[in-house]
Amino acid sequence: MVGHVSRDRRQGGVSGNRAIVTGAARGLGEAVASRLIADGWHVALVDVVDEVETTAAGLAATARGATVVGIVADVSREDDVERAVTRAVDVLGGLDALVNNAGIGGSDTHVVDTSLGAFRRVLDVNLVGSFLVARAVATVLLAQGSGGAIVNLGSILGQRGEAGSAAYSASKAGVALLTQTLALELGPHAIRVNTVAPGNMATEMHWEYVRDLAAQMGVGFDDARDHVRRSVPLGRHGIGEDIAGAVAWLVSDDASYVTGQTIGVNGGVVLS
Amino acid sequence: MTGAFEARRALVSGGAGGIGLATARLLVDRGARVAILDRDPAITRDAAATIDGVAVVADVRDAEQVAAAAAEAAHALGGPIDVCVNAAGIYRIASLLELGPQEWDEVIAINLRGSWLVAREVVRGLVEAGVRGGAIVNISSTAALIADASEPGAHYNASKAGVIALTKQMAAEWAPHGVRANAVCPGVIETSMLRLMDDPVAGQAYLDHQVPLGRLGQPEEVAALIAFLASDEASYVTGVAVPVDGGVTSI
Repeated sequence: MVGHVSRDRRQGGVSGNRAIVTGAARGLGEAVASRLIADGWHVALVDVVDEVETTAAGLAATARGATVVGIVADVSREDDVERAVTRAVDVLGGLDALVNNAGIGGSDTHVVDTSLGAFRRVLDVNLVGSFLVARAVATVLLAQGSGGAIVNLGSILGQRGEAGSAAYSASKAGVALLTQTLALELGPHAIRVNTVAPGNMATEMHWEYVRDLAAQMGVGFDDARDHVRRSVPLGRHGIGEDIAGAVAWLVSDDASYVTGQTIGVNGGVVLS
Repeated sequence: MTGAFEARRALVSGGAGGIGLATARLLVDRGARVAILDRDPAITRDAAATIDGVAVVADVRDAEQVAAAAAEAAHALGGPIDVCVNAAGIYRIASLLELGPQEWDEVIAINLRGSWLVAREVVRGLVEAGVRGGAIVNISSTAALIADASEPGAHYNASKAGVIALTKQMAAEWAPHGVRANAVCPGVIETSMLRLMDDPVAGQAYLDHQVPLGRLGQPEEVAALIAFLASDEASYVTGVAVPVDGGVTSI
């Protein structure tokens, strides 16, 4: 007696192939944008640094017929975000997916040594920025009425705390709950929202952390890096392609019944 | 996606129907050679024939039968199995006050002990062959994460919560062998195991109010998650339990 229940699995999927990736000038965001383009997506790369235009031009050169555009915008600024999303819609002819990747690491300081300005800056970029871009993109998706997918980048540090990571952990835990709330609000409109939570990634943000760790441990960079590596059950740092694989899957129709979740891509450091 | 499982050998327990069969079919479509392990010889053979796969028969509660079936599967597929999907499971509804010890033991033995026994044989095969790498995907359930007084099944819920703990331990112990282990937690999926729609009105009300995506899931949608976790796309993902539930566990 289930004949009246929709069997259309695409109802929860993504029909089109136009995406915004924030924080895409380099690192994980660039890897994600590159992967989506390889999968046939048209992509607007957004970043606060001008370099995003060069990155977009480079990816466009290798893309077969894909529209690729770089847009400079600060995700923590409401007017920047509105302008960037409007521009992306103009260039791509609409939107089907958002990858909220823009983020900063912040200083590795204990709470008692953290200034209000430093704490707020991390929250502003990582959490408020994710909210602003998600709000702008969700508004477009709802107006289109054709469903969609949003993937927010959380972190292993949003799943468990660590000394010196108060602002970053709080921002990323906030992202995971923002995801759940968006999933509930947008689910009835066939818009899926999920979080990918990277672990120790081979990115400049992580190497900054390793440099701080080396100083704390009184050892060299390589020793500190190997110390981190030994803590990962799979025995290596993650790379951009690891994150891109999870994101590409979550925005695809293969993930059509997955929403509101946090998927850890961390080599087994946090088993969740 | 097509071809993501070229040269991979997969064993799918409970593969004769439901999520198991959908997974076996998807793995075949993506290039894997697949053996279905299930309990009933005729049903298992028929199911395997529909996907051009191999049929092996075992009761997953029985260690000797599982060992023989896993060895037979590896032999038939031409080498050690490097993808193991533990989809064999049963669902029973009984309140805590009415549930008997035999029913309890049966559910735990099939859902939890069976998952361990099948995966153990597969990983033993990899280690003995000196092969590094492999992926285990265990089927847990949203019932492992949230209780439901209207459809009580403490034994089922406990077995599926046990599957998550088992998965994490597999991830931790087998990472040095390059074997990843993850679990999926299906919500209300349209299979013969589903009881939600026995009362269509109450079932639809549940979908409307408790499932953000507002519908049942299809076995193919669970299979797609299993295939992702088993593939090299997920090469840095281990020890996680991922719901595929239309958002039920977000509420």
